[in-house]
Amino acid sequence: MDTASPRLKRRKDMLGLRGVSRAEITQILDTAARIRGVNRRRVKKVPTLRGRTVVSAFFENSTRTRMSFDLAAKRLSADVLGFSASSSSTKKGESLMDTARNIDAWRPDALIIRHPMAGAPHMLARAFGWSVINAGDGIHEHPTQALLDMLTMRDHLGTLEGRTVAIVGDVLHSRVARSNIFGLTTMGAKVVVAGPGTMCPPRMASLGVEVRHRVDEVLEDADVVMMLRVQRERLGRAVMTEVAEYARLYGLDLDRMAKARPDVLVMHPGPINRGVEMSPDVADGDRSVVLEQVSNGLAVRMALLYMLLGEEGHDATRG
Amino acid sequence: MRRVAERDVRIEGARWLCPVSGRSGEGTLHVHGGRIATHSSPDAQVFDAQGLWVVPAFVDLSAHLGDPGYLWRETLETGSRAGAAGGFGTVVSSPDTDPVIDRGALLADLRQRADGLPGARVCFAGALTEGLAGEDLGEIGCMVDAGAVALSDGGRAVRDTLVLRRALEYAQRFDVPIVLRPSDPMLETDGVMHEGAVALRIGLRGVPAASEEIGVARAVALARLTGARVHLDGVSTARALEQVRTARDQGLDVTCGVPARHLLLVDRDVEDAFYDTGLRLEPPLRPESDRQALVAAVRSGAAMVGAGHRPLSRVEKEHEFERAMPGAAGLETAFSATLTALDGDLHATVVALSSRPSAVLGVPASLQPGAPADLTVVDPDGTHLVTAPRFSKGVNEPLEGRSLRGIVRATMVAGTWAFDAIDA
Repeated sequence: MDTASPRLKRRKDMLGLRGVSRAEITQILDTAARIRGVNRRRVKKVPTLRGRTVVSAFFENSTRTRMSFDLAAKRLSADVLGFSASSSSTKKGESLMDTARNIDAWRPDALIIRHPMAGAPHMLARAFGWSVINAGDGIHEHPTQALLDMLTMRDHLGTLEGRTVAIVGDVLHSRVARSNIFGLTTMGAKVVVAGPGTMCPPRMASLGVEVRHRVDEVLEDADVVMMLRVQRERLGRAVMTEVAEYARLYGLDLDRMAKARPDVLVMHPGPINRGVEMSPDVADGDRSVVLEQVSNGLAVRMALLYMLLGEEGHDATRG
Repeated sequence: MRRVAERDVRIEGARWLCPVSGRSGEGTLHVHGGRIATHSSPDAQVFDAQGLWVVPAFVDLSAHLGDPGYLWRETLETGSRAGAAGGFGTVVSSPDTDPVIDRGALLADLRQRADGLPGARVCFAGALTEGLAGEDLGEIGCMVDAGAVALSDGGRAVRDTLVLRRALEYAQRFDVPIVLRPSDPMLETDGVMHEGAVALRIGLRGVPAASEEIGVARAVALARLTGARVHLDGVSTARALEQVRTARDQGLDVTCGVPARHLLLVDRDVEDAFYDTGLRLEPPLRPESDRQALVAAVRSGAAMVGAGHRPLSRVEKEHEFERAMPGAAGLETAFSATLTALDGDLHATVVALSSRPSAVLGVPASLQPGAPADLTVVDPDGTHLVTAPRFSKGVNEPLEGRSLRGIVRATMVAGTWAFDAIDA
């Protein structure tokens, strides 16, 4: 570990970024930056978590987050087992607490959980002794996504302090946005959100962000533009009009990009609806750091697993 | 009536308070033949109430007991005992049971079963609409004939305003109060807590205060249109109170009750309690500014207090916050919650829990000679640590662990002791 940084209390869980200090976020990002080296080696594996068991429980569809967590645990040599809602007993009517009691009987060391309801990871974290990592709970938080976003921003901007990050789209129903808002404001960045009134209502200002309507209003000053995915499958009734209108009013295309700073970073948590949030030429353009986000996701998740489960004093980056 | 008091009772050494008659005093209270009396027989049972207060028993206008159909939540008997333990002499059971109480015969059966219950007297509200589905009217006339003391939407707001209008018009002739939950159900879709800064932070979908305001506005407008006597159960916002106040100023017969726990708890508690499903409630806990308005309204007599009794089992509560059923037991703590919120103002507490709700039922609770001996012996200065419900089957008590002021020592219903803390 970085012995120069002040020693932080080891936490049991990572449930969200709200309330996590700047020092701790910095420590996670620093650790992730160091641990990245493992992923560039020929043998991409360190023995840090050998003998530890990590369970991943995804009660919601996910491909990349789940694979990223699995790979992170495997590269640290943990035993990983997982189940998803479609194959699990939840379909048979078992309650989350009962599922968790069964998992508990296997004596795991950590549970990675994604769940459609806010607070589900918190309920388990309170009830059980093992570490809980929130991989997305309802519209609440998705802390590892925000950490990987912040790591990507820091790589390019050097620091987050004083930077302006614009988040565009369904901010109200986005756990990615919430975690980024909590993390970025803690790190001293300014967050501006924009989107239709049903997705970005003025009351969001209580989260410490500036609320605007149009994308054009936020582009000029932004160091980073984060476009959120339009989750058509999850939107409630009467939240948005036609997709074409959304794309025209809130989507990012090359014309709009011309109004932004030349060095602006374009981010997206994926998967992208090409032609909706972003035109393909922006998604694949030279300002897009979408794939860096994906590789940083692996590093951040390895760092977190290491920090939550690793032996004190053991340096994962040395292997 | 249910039981006949076999023995006279003499309550000695107490101070007593009777807001309805505006009288209070100190000394011996006599109970004879189930009624407050000026004398009792020499062999009367003597209750030493030194240092305690005797007040008219409390009345709850809408308890969701779940009998018949949801007996794991509460039965008439456990509800009756929980009521008496909380100082309630009368508990009106809401019709949202299975089957829904929407016919005279069902209500008559229940009344028979409620005869001779050990604790508080349990009365029944009939369903305003058939099956509480909000489409056709319940057997309003037959239910009133069978002894319904109120008609109710069972906590499920009637969606169709025309149906609600007709129900109020039809019911108006039968002269029973109509208990409505003020809300706009469509506006509450997916909402699990108050819509505000806290919900936004912790990622829970909100129930906006506007839903309650729309519900109150609709009920007030229809009360004006039909002349119906409406009691709004579970008012939780400052603006809704203001709307009720305005309606009353204009001479409408509209009353409202606030849940006792809402006088102490706020939406922030959901966050602090880490999504504790015990705080998943209907109406939801509101911000501090609303809480203060509720307390002020109860203190001034503008609003009465209900127990907000909706007991649930562990199976219904041990879930993710959004999946857990809304509700909590409340009969056993309503008195101490109210007294604590009102800084020990016993008079205002008794007005809110007894005088006002009993007046809604048309039988003002009194300690005057001749009145039915429904009374509660309380220690307003004693404090106690709230535990899980002792008599109710409900598992969660949102106030558990708090130190509250006011202890119910004994409850008498129609001259018979229905609860005595010493035996309990």
